[in-house]
Amino acid sequence: MMSGRDVVSRAAPLLACLGLLGLWEIAALVLSTDSFPTAWGAIRAIPSILGDKESLINILDSLRRMAIGFAVGVIVSIPLGLMMGRSRLVASFFNPLLMVTYPVPKAALMPIIMLWLGVGDLAKTLVIFLGVSLPVIYHSFQGAKAVEEKMLWSGAAMGLSAAQRMIRIVLPAALPEILTGCRTGLVLALITMVTSEMIARQSGAGNILFNSLDMGQYDTVYAMIIIIGAMGIGLDAAFENLRGKLVKWSEPSFEIPLSFA
Amino acid sequence: MNPRAVTTDVLLGIVPIALLVAFWQGLVSFGYAPPTLLPPPGLVFARLAQQLFTSSFQQEIAATLLRLFAGFSIAVILGVTIGLAASASPAVNAVVRPIVRVLAPLPKVALYPALLLLLGFNHQSKIMLVAADALFPILLSTYYGASMVEQKLIWSAMAAGTPRRQIMLKVVLPAAVPSILTGCRIGLVISCIVVFLAEMITSTDGLGHVLVTAARTFQAVDMFVPLITISLLGLILNGVLQALRTYLLRGFPEV
Repeated sequence: MMSGRDVVSRAAPLLACLGLLGLWEIAALVLSTDSFPTAWGAIRAIPSILGDKESLINILDSLRRMAIGFAVGVIVSIPLGLMMGRSRLVASFFNPLLMVTYPVPKAALMPIIMLWLGVGDLAKTLVIFLGVSLPVIYHSFQGAKAVEEKMLWSGAAMGLSAAQRMIRIVLPAALPEILTGCRTGLVLALITMVTSEMIARQSGAGNILFNSLDMGQYDTVYAMIIIIGAMGIGLDAAFENLRGKLVKWSEPSFEIPLSFA
Repeated sequence: MNPRAVTTDVLLGIVPIALLVAFWQGLVSFGYAPPTLLPPPGLVFARLAQQLFTSSFQQEIAATLLRLFAGFSIAVILGVTIGLAASASPAVNAVVRPIVRVLAPLPKVALYPALLLLLGFNHQSKIMLVAADALFPILLSTYYGASMVEQKLIWSAMAAGTPRRQIMLKVVLPAAVPSILTGCRIGLVISCIVVFLAEMITSTDGLGHVLVTAARTFQAVDMFVPLITISLLGLILNGVLQALRTYLLRGFPEV
C-alpha cells in the first residue's frame, strides 16, 4: 500500500520533467524566434526521427558502441582500481599517469585516433572506453583503500589467499564506491559518444544532432536533444535501480534533513 | 610519510609515463608509424616549448582559461548556494531534488546546439556549457556535505543565540568545506574537458580550435601540442586547488 507521500515523491521527477518542458514552452513563446521552437514542436518531431529507419539504425549503432565501450571499460578498470587501492606499489606506479590523463578530453583524442583506426566503430568505441575507465578506476581505488584492515587480517587468519581476500572482502566492501564510479562513467560514456560522433561525422546520434544544426533544421536539433537527454535519464535511472538492489545494505534507511527548529 | 618513501613514489610514478614516451618514440624509430601520422615525441615537446613563448598561442590559452574560470566560478557560486539552501530548507529541497535528478544525468554536450542557437557563437554559450557541466558535482557534494553536519553543532550554536543566517555561514558552511572541495575538484576536471570540446565544436580561438585547425590541415605535430597543454593546465589547476584545500582545511583532521 503506497501512502500519498510516496506517490508524490515517486512522481516528483516526472513533475520536474513536465515543469522544465513547460518553462521551455513559455520561454519559446515569449522569445518566438525561428531558432528556438516550442517544446511541443520539438516533441512532435520525435516520432518522425524514430520512425525513420536510417536514423533509428544510427541511434542503435551509437548505443551499441556505448554499451561495448562501457562494458570493456568497467571490466578492465575495476580490477586495476582495486589493486591500486590495496598495493602502494601499484598505486604509485599508475597514479601520476592517471593524473596526467584525467583532464585531457578523451573525445579530443578522436582526430588522432581517427588517423590510425579510421572513422569506424573501433575508434569511437576506444574513445568511449578511455572516457569510462578513468572515473571507474579512481572510485574503485578510493573504495579499496578505505577497506578496514581488520577484516583483511581476519580473512588472512582464516586462511584466505590474497586473491580470495580480494574477491570476497575487498570487492564487496568497495562495491558502493565502485558503483558510484560506474554511474559517473555511464554519463561520461554518453557524453563521449555524442562528441566522438560529432567529430567523426559518419553515423550515430551525435551526427544527426550536429548535421541538423548545420542544415538549420531546428525542430530536429531540439528533438534529438530530448532523445539524447531521455537516454541519459533512462540509463541513469536503470542503473540507480540496479545499484539500489546490489548495495542496499550500505545506504542509510532514511535521510535526516538538518533541522533549525 | 617520510621523504624517502615520497622519493620512491615519485620515481615509480615517472616510470609508466617514461615507458609511454619510450613506446611512442619506439613506434616512430622502428618505422611502425609514418612520422606524418605520429611525430616523434622530441619534435612535439620542442614544438610545445617553442609555441608557449609565442604571443598568439598565449592568447589561445588565455581565451580557454577565461571561459574555464568564468564557467567554473558560476558553477561554484550557484552549486554551493543551492546545495546549502536545499540542505537547510525542506521546501527548497522538495523543488530542487527532482529537478537535479532529471538534469544531472542529462549529457550537457547535447544541449550545446541549443545554447549556440540561443546565446550565439561567442563566449557566453561556451561559458554556460562549462557552468552547466561543472554545476552538478559541486551542488551534489555541497548538499551531502551540509546534510552530514552534526546536528549537535547546530543546536549548540542555537543555544548560544546565533541567528539562522549566521549558523549557515559559521557552522554549516565550514563543516561542509571538505566535501565542497571534493566536488570542486571533480567540477574542475570536467570544466577542462568541456571547455576544450566546446572550442572544438565551434570557435575561432582557444586550444580546442588549435586542435581542430591542425587536424583539418593534417599537421600531426600541432595536434599533440594543445592536448599536452590542456593536460598541463589541468595538472596546474589541480595543484592550485590542492594547495587551497591544505590551506582551508589546516584545522581539520586528515581527510
